[in-house]
Amino acid sequence: MSSFLTSAFMHNIFGGLAQGVIYSLVALSLVIIWQSTHVLNFAQGAMAMLATYIGMTQIDRGIGYWWCLVISVVVGMVFGGVTERVLIRPLYGKPEINPIVVMVGFLGVIEAVATAIWTSTTRNIAAPFSQVFFQSHGNLVYLSPFIIFQVILAVVIMLLVAALFRFTKLGLQLRASALAPEVARLLGVRVNRMLTIGWILSAGVGAIAAVILASGSFGLFPTDMDGVFVAGFIAAAVGGLESPIGAIAGGLLIGLAEQFILAYWSPNVAPLGGIIILVVALMIRPQGIFTRTVGRRV
Amino acid sequence: MNWLGSLRKQETTHARFICVLGLTILALVVTIFLPPVADSQLASGAAITIVILGLSWLIGWSGQISLGNSGFMAVGAYAAGIWAHHHATTPLVFTLLLATVAGAFSGLVVGIPSTRLRGPYLAGMTLAFAAAITPLAQNFTSMTGGEGGLFFNTLTTPKWFLHQFGGINAAINANAQWSADLAVVIAGVMFFFMANLFHSRSGRAMRLVRDNDVAAELMGINLPRTRTLAFVVAAAFAGLGGALFTLLNATVTPETFPLTLSITLLTLMVLGGIGTLSGAVIGGIIYSFSPNLVSYVNSLTGVNPSSNLGANMQGIIFGSLLILTMLFAPRGIAGVGLKIKHSLQSRRKLESVENVN
Repeated sequence: MSSFLTSAFMHNIFGGLAQGVIYSLVALSLVIIWQSTHVLNFAQGAMAMLATYIGMTQIDRGIGYWWCLVISVVVGMVFGGVTERVLIRPLYGKPEINPIVVMVGFLGVIEAVATAIWTSTTRNIAAPFSQVFFQSHGNLVYLSPFIIFQVILAVVIMLLVAALFRFTKLGLQLRASALAPEVARLLGVRVNRMLTIGWILSAGVGAIAAVILASGSFGLFPTDMDGVFVAGFIAAAVGGLESPIGAIAGGLLIGLAEQFILAYWSPNVAPLGGIIILVVALMIRPQGIFTRTVGRRV
Repeated sequence: MNWLGSLRKQETTHARFICVLGLTILALVVTIFLPPVADSQLASGAAITIVILGLSWLIGWSGQISLGNSGFMAVGAYAAGIWAHHHATTPLVFTLLLATVAGAFSGLVVGIPSTRLRGPYLAGMTLAFAAAITPLAQNFTSMTGGEGGLFFNTLTTPKWFLHQFGGINAAINANAQWSADLAVVIAGVMFFFMANLFHSRSGRAMRLVRDNDVAAELMGINLPRTRTLAFVVAAAFAGLGGALFTLLNATVTPETFPLTLSITLLTLMVLGGIGTLSGAVIGGIIYSFSPNLVSYVNSLTGVNPSSNLGANMQGIIFGSLLILTMLFAPRGIAGVGLKIKHSLQSRRKLESVENVN
């Protein structure tokens, strides 16, 4: 058993899952926005990156890791809410290319501003968990206390989001305004407010993903979230952009696929793995693997 | 620019040809008087114009959103670059043709699965393609030169040209002018080609597919084939533009085609006017002189150009322009021009009606 835990196969499983939970969180945040406003937020990764960088500046002032996490998430949420009000609200009812173009422009602005302020070098947050791998009979098990923390944190966030949507009045209102805005409005749900709350929630989840990335051994740089966003989008698209469960499963799948391609072929080919999964998944089920709604078939 | 926008009203290919010819000759005359730096900026702008023409066709006319055109550019550029690196004496036309075919093929590969995708799915899929293509160049190092890229020198100025213009200017000037002229002529040819394509049978089919795909299918248009064709044409244009771009710079590296280039292309197209021919030319001209624009903004705001902020000013300006254009003038400069023209025309009509009364 111990030799199994230390095998190259399990190494890739652990590595893939650790990366996969980050993708899952980003995918989940994309699904929340998609469900509430039917916008795919191309600036999601960049917004999370900026929030995390603002949290990191506070670490320089001597606050602890947990405060940095909280500040990043709160800044991210405020950021998400303001973005929805200022940039997205004027575009409801316009052709679907308009919000895409605006968010792509926003992505460019955020990354340029962040690079201007903090340069393109990688930065780390020192997490209060060791990055050193466990050992079993002298052999490395590719799990560290930090990786366990990152998986637990991601799972807790996912459960909280699930509980919010399923068991609270707010969650019911959010789901109602996504499903049937007119009916929800007639029944007294403040739909516009729900849309903003959707963006706030989503940006918070995204910020957690960026903080985890920044606390890991590779750190964070201003354009780092581009690749994470692409992987997160693929994960969400495989699940159908409608299903939170699908997004989470998709994220883990992409993480594992990239890790195995990286290990057995080359890290430079790894991004192709996600595309191939997306193409295959969409060929089989264009409406997404985990959705029950019927997609348009023309 | 109004008379360019009105190209679509002149039905004959003949009139279109004369318009493009006039514009190209005008640009050629301009290159004689421009300093060499501006000439080489204009050359890059002409290459980018070709890419924007394809993008405008894809997004504006077929209604498919692509963020992957920097990827198609990279395919064309590497096809031309690898060939030119090994066979420096090949005629330019052949190298460019090769790049165009390579670009078209990559468009086919991306286009076929994309026939099942719409809107944001498609945008994300093409973005993933653009993100995956540059690391690939770093993987096959023996072919692509990896991180350091490839160098080649295929754009040699012919003797007669040096003789003609080298006398007035120095040889460097004549070289810059030659590459600008070359790029302008190629852009002119592609512009003419695209102008005809816009008004061809497939161009009309494309617009119908964009506006109402069910009606298009009922009229017997093959939707997957039309959508894939849109991608193939756009990618061929991007491949040619990318190849020209790298041949002008005599080098291609993975950093030549970052994801931000896709954002820049989108900005230029939206700024010029989505789905308009004149918009692509406007976008190319803006690209040509964007270094001047950036340094002007830097001097206006007192930012040191070599500082961190100064180096990222272009990204900030282009991103902001993209957002502002989409929010306040989604039809772009060409759209605003058309609007002014139409309002002038309708006022004139009103006046004539009043005169009758």
